[in-house]
Amino acid sequence: MWVVRPAQPDDLKAVLELAGGVGPRMSSTLPAKDEALAEKIQQSVRSFQGTNDPEEGLRFLFVLENSDTGKVSGVAGIDARAGNGQPFYNYRKDALIHASHELGVSRRVEVLYPSHALTDHTLLCAFTVDPALRGTDAFELLSRARMMFIASHRHLFTDHAVVEIQGVQTESGRVPFWDSLGRHFFNMDFETADQHSGALSKTFIAELMPPNPVYVTLLTPEAQAALGRAHEKTLPTYELLQREGFQAGAYLDIFDAGPVLEARTDSLKTIVASLPGRLHGSPTEDGELCLISGGTQAQFRCTLSPIAETLKGDVKVPVKTWHCLSLDAGDQIRVSPL
Amino acid sequence: MLVIRPLQESDLEALYAMAQSAGKGLTTLPADRDLLLRKIRHTRDTFDQRCAPEAGLYLFALEDTELEQCVGISGIQARVGLDEVFYNYRLSVTVNASRELGVHVRTPTLHLSNDMTDTSEICSLLLSDSHRGGGNGLLLSRCRFMFLDHFRKHFSDKVFAEMRGVSDKDGRSPLWDALGCKFFDMDFTEADLLSGLGDKSFIAELMPKFPIYLPMLPDEARAVIGRVHDNTAPALKMLQAEGFNFNGMVDIFDGGPVVEAFIHNIRTVRESTDRIVMIRSDKASRNWSAREAPGEGGKGDLERREVMVCNGSFQNFRVTTVPAECIAIDTISLSETVARALEVEAGDRVRLAPLKDAGLNPIYDRRDTNHAGKPSRA
Repeated sequence: MWVVRPAQPDDLKAVLELAGGVGPRMSSTLPAKDEALAEKIQQSVRSFQGTNDPEEGLRFLFVLENSDTGKVSGVAGIDARAGNGQPFYNYRKDALIHASHELGVSRRVEVLYPSHALTDHTLLCAFTVDPALRGTDAFELLSRARMMFIASHRHLFTDHAVVEIQGVQTESGRVPFWDSLGRHFFNMDFETADQHSGALSKTFIAELMPPNPVYVTLLTPEAQAALGRAHEKTLPTYELLQREGFQAGAYLDIFDAGPVLEARTDSLKTIVASLPGRLHGSPTEDGELCLISGGTQAQFRCTLSPIAETLKGDVKVPVKTWHCLSLDAGDQIRVSPL
Repeated sequence: MLVIRPLQESDLEALYAMAQSAGKGLTTLPADRDLLLRKIRHTRDTFDQRCAPEAGLYLFALEDTELEQCVGISGIQARVGLDEVFYNYRLSVTVNASRELGVHVRTPTLHLSNDMTDTSEICSLLLSDSHRGGGNGLLLSRCRFMFLDHFRKHFSDKVFAEMRGVSDKDGRSPLWDALGCKFFDMDFTEADLLSGLGDKSFIAELMPKFPIYLPMLPDEARAVIGRVHDNTAPALKMLQAEGFNFNGMVDIFDGGPVVEAFIHNIRTVRESTDRIVMIRSDKASRNWSAREAPGEGGKGDLERREVMVCNGSFQNFRVTTVPAECIAIDTISLSETVARALEVEAGDRVRLAPLKDAGLNPIYDRRDTNHAGKPSRA
């Protein structure tokens, strides 16, 4: 069975492999370097235990594990507050009307404004999965398990949730938006900048980013075409998040101009549709496949299970599922349809 | 003889013909009769002091007294940006640095600016093809400095000139194509024309207000920022010789540079001096030139030794050139014709300035040789 659980220091090697396989773009939230990643996992462990320094921020990392083999095939994260105490950078695409009454001309001029508006919004991040699992139930489990966690730990998170989607990158690794804008100011290639953004404090972004708004029309045509466009590889994720209720708004990633999806936390489909209940046994394996989660903080688990019947808050599932969640009959759980 | 005088209504046709043959690129004087007539009337109002000093437009005509025709024009606008908004880009630098990463990046940036507002501008220089050479262009340009010097209280301390930027023979400007047209949706000549017709407010309404980072523009556009059109290179050189310098501002359309100088620092102003007029008969003058003219250096030398002379009249300002040989220690000897053209009489005070900037100032050169009692030398 597939189960999602908090990442442990032992997962380092598996997560490292996953991170290495996804290309440079993930490196800001999931650095493919031993020490940096080990520290991320440690921070996550502290966050789950509730023992972390208030200043470092809450950052949760989950892994997708096959409970039969113990193999880890995916990782996903939540930053309770985007930026973790520092500014969270985006561009906001906005429009100005340049109009001349005398000439009868009216022109829409698009502008990218540097923005920190999404700072402190809850950020879903670091989503990485074994390519073989893309589009499967396990894939959906990993992504939505985070919403189940938010639902059962709602007080830790804010009213707005955001996700950054990877933007356009050519097969040769070029990022048209970066080449047209960021490169001039950062004087480094995309990969280096992206790695810095994972490894270093974000101060360097503040120091190097163009301080004033940028006219879209002055970007290269290739870069303009990339604004707000998701990388093809991320389309399954994008679609899943859209079904969850996330929508692309005016915000773009500062490095590759990928879309930033936004939603109200309380409107997310998984959270709206989820119901609390008590764990109960079922003799059969029949029933509708649902997300089921239980346990708090470090004991949090989420899996997929057929649910035979839900009666007066009693959720009847096969005993196998109990083991998977490390829970017993009568324990509090939460279910949400797949 | 060539004389500078205020422009008048009767110059309209000559002016129109010059504007037509000048073609594109001369924004301040488009070939449009109504507009030119408006400018002439504005000039008349200015010289007759019927308009406020800061609204003044001073256009000077270069008249060929034999043809009785205006063969060139130059101007001063007393103040820019008072009833419309006057725009330039300021070429400056944005520095982004990160100590942590050891990165230090300079980004040349254009900032939209109105900094030239309330400053006097020299403008509208145009010389008919038939009269090019022989220092006529210099006279047209430099007579303005004599006027500025004489009537400083009507002008700002600083004066500037906008130099025509780079465009190709079809009138395409690389900067316009990369920047302006993305916001204006019209070609360079059309926009330039509209701007010349006085419709400047449209610029304000359509202009990008945020700074423009130059690395985002194509190389050919960046290369022309602060550069002048080949045809304008001599004019730039002349102004530089007068002490004008690039002040970091460029034209918002074609990127041509703005050069400026303080009036008291302009070479013509610094080297000018006063003399009392003495008048000799035209007959005597002819003998004079016959004796002096076959000088040592030929024509070029003669030209270099020419000196501008102006009267001190505001309403009827006149300038012409005379040979340096006319100058004595306290006086200048003018023929009857020249005196008539300058509208001066014996005993009047006139101001002199060298026409050319090369070599010794012929005014003082002359005085020194007189003192020493030696024959004048080249």
